[in-house]
Amino acid sequence: MTAIPQKEMVTGSIRYQPGEEVPNVGTKLFALRNQCTECNACEVACALVHSQDGMVNPQMARLRIDHAPEKSSRTNPLGIGFVAEICHHCGNPPPCADVCPTDAFYYDPVTRAAVIEQDNCIQCMECVPGCPFDVVFVAPKGELLKCDLCGGDPVCVKACATRPEMVNEGKQYVRLPVLFFEAQQEFNRLSKQIPEAQDEIGLMQAMLERGEISSSA
Amino acid sequence: MESRLLRVNLTTGEMKGETIPHSIFERWIGGSGVNNWIMWEHFLTHDINCDPRGPDNIFVFGVGPLAGTGAGSGIKGRITFKSPCYNMFGDSAGGGKFPYYARFSGYEYIAITGKAPKPVYLLICNGEVALIDAAHLWGKGTEDTHAILQEELGDYPSKVHTLSISQAGENQVGIAGVVSDALRIHARGGGGAVLGSKNLKAIAVQGNGGLPVARPGEMLAWSDDFRKKIDGNEAIYGFKRRGTLGAVEMYQHIGSHFWRNNQGNKFRGDEIRSDNWVKKFQKYSEVCSSDCFIACDSKYVIDGTESEPSKKYIGETFRRPEYLTTGSAAGALDVRDWSEVAHWGKITNDYAIDNQDLSCSISFLMELKQRDLISNHDVAELFGHEQSLRWGNMDDIEACVESIVFQKNLFGVMFRDGPYFGALKYSEMKGKNFMKYAMYGKGGASFTEEVRPYPTWMNNMAVASRGADHLKGIGLIEKFQREDLSKMYFNGRTEAADLTIPDLKGACTALAENQVALLNSYGVCLFHWMLDPAEFTPQDYYGKAYAAVTGIERTPEELMRDGERICNLEKAFNSRVGMRREHDMVCERWMWEPNSEGLYEGAVGADMFNTVLDEYYEWRGWEKESGLQTRARLEELGMEDVADVLAKDGALALT
Repeated sequence: MTAIPQKEMVTGSIRYQPGEEVPNVGTKLFALRNQCTECNACEVACALVHSQDGMVNPQMARLRIDHAPEKSSRTNPLGIGFVAEICHHCGNPPPCADVCPTDAFYYDPVTRAAVIEQDNCIQCMECVPGCPFDVVFVAPKGELLKCDLCGGDPVCVKACATRPEMVNEGKQYVRLPVLFFEAQQEFNRLSKQIPEAQDEIGLMQAMLERGEISSSA
Repeated sequence: MESRLLRVNLTTGEMKGETIPHSIFERWIGGSGVNNWIMWEHFLTHDINCDPRGPDNIFVFGVGPLAGTGAGSGIKGRITFKSPCYNMFGDSAGGGKFPYYARFSGYEYIAITGKAPKPVYLLICNGEVALIDAAHLWGKGTEDTHAILQEELGDYPSKVHTLSISQAGENQVGIAGVVSDALRIHARGGGGAVLGSKNLKAIAVQGNGGLPVARPGEMLAWSDDFRKKIDGNEAIYGFKRRGTLGAVEMYQHIGSHFWRNNQGNKFRGDEIRSDNWVKKFQKYSEVCSSDCFIACDSKYVIDGTESEPSKKYIGETFRRPEYLTTGSAAGALDVRDWSEVAHWGKITNDYAIDNQDLSCSISFLMELKQRDLISNHDVAELFGHEQSLRWGNMDDIEACVESIVFQKNLFGVMFRDGPYFGALKYSEMKGKNFMKYAMYGKGGASFTEEVRPYPTWMNNMAVASRGADHLKGIGLIEKFQREDLSKMYFNGRTEAADLTIPDLKGACTALAENQVALLNSYGVCLFHWMLDPAEFTPQDYYGKAYAAVTGIERTPEELMRDGERICNLEKAFNSRVGMRREHDMVCERWMWEPNSEGLYEGAVGADMFNTVLDEYYEWRGWEKESGLQTRARLEELGMEDVADVLAKDGALALT
């Protein structure tokens, strides 16, 4: 009989400095600001993965498309368009878990994503304002929704296909999705370029605002 | 598979929700198929010859089962009604977020009858419904209406999405459409006039409910496969950037535009090219509805540096003109500046009016003026003041648009039902026959593309159930000369791809109509199929997604029969209102005037017209002489009940 792996709860208060290896998270998710077409394909795909009782509902998705008229970026200086609001998986530990009064967050043993144990969650919603990126969502029935990385191969990233600026390499059209993930190592390499950020979360905010995070991974 | 239908009687204010049972989906697939059935049933107990602007007409909204389930093919809502401008079957598709959110609001189908005593709007929010006073919205364009409702109803449980009419609909202008989210118009057939006649200004939906998917895992796998195929497709790569505008160059090459009321078929001037649009105007890409892997739409903002005329429109922002927006402005009306074409797109959307019928009404009059068939005095008589009516002059064009929308003057009143009826009335008034210059097809509907060299397109214009247009039976095989498709569908025969002979052209119309009926019933966009018709077949490829979502298993052959059944119900509706073979026709210019320029110069539409029409009836199993359906074919399709109704009305073939 195989033993069920012990769930590693998200607790502790170690703060990692930029460039340091963060042990808990293997994959980070990002979205390019204002490059999104609001096709909702990522929401629908996420809803399909997380469907319950034969119903599919984008309000149960772990990410949201939002209108972002005021944010401009290097690739979109006019600052018009949409943005996918998505969990970046900041492991530090993540601030959403940090504020949880019942310690309902645990690390998925496979993906290292911090996810919510619904049985322990009392739906106090502390984690909603606790998230600096506003990406913990509330389902229509009150359940708290946070990205779980779909077992390591996030379906939203695969679904993000609508951006027209594809790269034409010979006869092969390679799409540049708005949503993409970066390996922790690549993130660390990029993060060394912003020494002024205080911690990983500040670093991500700075990088997103500058449009420094690219889909090169 | 079940769905919810909301029935609203505006006269009594009674609103009742009911379940559409699985058996209806087994027979009618969903979307436009189910809409058609709801309307058909309504007219079994109501007079089908009723005034379409009266309380007995029905307005049905519906969205098909694949919409928003990861089918990646956009979402198209459908409105179905008896057309007030052509007095026959009427329906129209539209994108926007409205159909997507209608699915979460609790009702995917809405059937509206009666007439409200005063202007109201219908709110549907998570299954709760209300009719609310719309006095403050009456007299507003669709952009304002949408903005006010968004402000008024707030963001919970979801943002508000609307389907609304403009002043044109309020004035019951026959060519007025209905606009989804102030961006995407259901233009064809005059749905706006139907809502206007019912005093219903808008429908607003909000909701956070889910939608049923029988096998989510299977749907996800299908979705993944579809996306990979789309990613690797060269045609789609270009389409993502330019959408239907990409057709401008190709049509210029072969001579397929509709220049100056189709006196020619190439644009003049160098400006109207899709490259120029992308370079100067295109700002960011957007999707027209939701759940689409192509996202061919985009936004523009005019900053006044693009051209001299653009200075008039500084700050104007809207979505990129579609091909037919361009075809109607740069083609029919000879507008030669992109900012003006874009402005035409914006005003026709805000006034929610069909730009095909509208442009052909205006170009008809401009051609009469150009040929000195009418004098300045005659023009002043129509408009109440002098009007130069010069080709491409935006001031003149806008004056004409406003005349019709606001029913300001004689011109507006005369042309409220499009160019055919307008030209008839004007000819009668002047005692001269001007019909030679009116561009129209079946029912009086018009279309701003050259059709003469393309026998299947000509046939499409003549037989389409909602009046002349190309979206009921898209002649892809012939226009793009796809021998591979011809072989695939016609036992290895290649004639369908040969423009110079009539063989298999009518068959192509029948085939494409069935396929389009399927896609419309799924609730998805046609473009994905059009961009790769050999791969993304509605009966086979999409059929698998349909099975995953609804749990209804069908072979491709069965699905094609389902498509055929839907087309036959639309036909039956038109037979009941008295349409016969003589109504399956097109205007004089398309029929008799030789094609004036381009690759196919000299082509005369009439050469193949009747041969193709005969063949179409043959493939449909209808009687050639009368154009009526036969009991034998209807019974084959399991439509005995429909045959009985037709027999009672004397609208069934006697053979």
